[in-house]
Amino acid sequence: MFGLGIVKGLWTTGKHFVQSYLGHTGLREGIRPDPTLGGLFTVQYPEEKLPMFPRFRGALMHLRDAETGEPKCTACGLCVRACPNDVIAVDGEGKGRDRKVTAYHYNLARCLFCRLCVEACTFSAIEMSHEYELASYSPDLVWGLEKLLAIGDKYGVHEAGKAWE
Amino acid sequence: MDVLNLLFVNLREAITTWLAGFLPMWAAEAVVHFGVGLILVVIGLLAVMVLTLGERKVIGRAQDRYGPNRWGPWGILTPVADAIKMLTKEDIVPEGADYWVHLLAPMCAIIAAVLIYAVLPFGEGMWGTDLNIGILYIVAIASLGTIAILMAGWSSNNKYSLLGAFRVVAQLISYEIPMLLSIVAVVLLTGSMSMVEIVRQQSVPHLITMPMVFFVYLLAASAELYRTPFDMIEADSELVAGFFTEYSGMKFVMFFMSEYFNLFAMSAIITTLFLAGWRGPILPGYVWFFFKCGVVIFFYWWVRSMMPRIRIDHLLNLAWKFLVPLALVNLMVVGLVDKLIADGIVQDVVLLAANIVVAIVVIGLLAFASRKTRSKRLQRITARR
Repeated sequence: MFGLGIVKGLWTTGKHFVQSYLGHTGLREGIRPDPTLGGLFTVQYPEEKLPMFPRFRGALMHLRDAETGEPKCTACGLCVRACPNDVIAVDGEGKGRDRKVTAYHYNLARCLFCRLCVEACTFSAIEMSHEYELASYSPDLVWGLEKLLAIGDKYGVHEAGKAWE
Repeated sequence: MDVLNLLFVNLREAITTWLAGFLPMWAAEAVVHFGVGLILVVIGLLAVMVLTLGERKVIGRAQDRYGPNRWGPWGILTPVADAIKMLTKEDIVPEGADYWVHLLAPMCAIIAAVLIYAVLPFGEGMWGTDLNIGILYIVAIASLGTIAILMAGWSSNNKYSLLGAFRVVAQLISYEIPMLLSIVAVVLLTGSMSMVEIVRQQSVPHLITMPMVFFVYLLAASAELYRTPFDMIEADSELVAGFFTEYSGMKFVMFFMSEYFNLFAMSAIITTLFLAGWRGPILPGYVWFFFKCGVVIFFYWWVRSMMPRIRIDHLLNLAWKFLVPLALVNLMVVGLVDKLIADGIVQDVVLLAANIVVAIVVIGLLAFASRKTRSKRLQRITARR
């Protein structure tokens, strides 16, 4: 019949309107499980967050030794040399095997999240975290050792590169 | 029930009597009339707030989104946030613009929109004034809005604004004709132009007795309101804004508000002309009135959520080649039935039957015409090969 297309269109949008109230709602890991399923699947961002995939490269974090709880970093400077953007500055004390990191500056404003520093590290002391909410109202974008260690503690990781194996 | 139904009418009476206690009668009347006018404007402003939010919510839901939900519970404070944002914006007058016309255009638009509210019957006894030429007054005032748009386009010193304004005028004037012819059909049947009288005479809603007239009016009204699928004028997703490209700040808000004032007024007119206004069982009249208005507005949102915009030449073709002839046929049918058969249930049934016949003929003709054009196009394509 002539003009049936309009009725069909109205039926479709009307169905979706009703389904948005009666159908499935809420987060299903950010994916509509079945394309024909009606309902709302928008992630309500500040309240709901999508889980990041394992190899996601967020801000840098420092890792602790699983037994002693000390930072694994020896301030060797390999990450400093690997970095293309001059993001990292590091300082340490002691000689040889006893060398320990005392200060570590990670300039977030310049970091391009390439993970070259992590690949350069021979001590498995740093890794990329899943932190992605990095915007800040104050210009304190140079993160110190404590903050990087705190992120590492939050993720509870002790070995770098697990997701890349 | 009568207490609730006449609540506001009695309130008005009581206030008038109270004021007459210490004021001369004419002053008391004047104060009350001023108050009624204020309430009508507030109804319009509330309608703007509810409709802007509701539209985004409903269309969002139809597209599997939530719509605005950040400010307040379910986002109900979003219109307030919008208002604050709009009020704090800079008012820019483009270089070389005709300052006074540029300033007056949004005012004319909103005045034309507000004036319509004077004759809308919201319930038994609830109207600004009962003009005996109510519907004619509405048609006359609604045309004022067109002039405001032309003023805006002309004074902006921007050729795109002017082109947008030309489009608006072409569209509004074209669609005013089928709209008027539909109104004439209703007036013919009622024998009165008063909005109140039209409602009083509708024991059966005109939607049921003459669906084709309603159909023509609905289409023409949606073009008059520049709503989808006839929103060539604004075309949010294609143009900048059409005739109000050069408007910002409070002046833009005035155009925006006049659009929503008109949306509510038009739904109220449709309710009055075709859905029996405030009449309805059990609930008080004004509840029925606003409920019916809501249904009409929801229908417009529903259509907006689903229809693409139609091209400008198709738009005018639809008005002149389809709606105007159809409205004339409707008018003829209604006139004949009104003349030949006495008022009553028989007339309603015959009118409905005649309308159904018209609808079947129209659909048949359209199907025939579309098949013809399709076969012609096919021939052209095969000939080219």
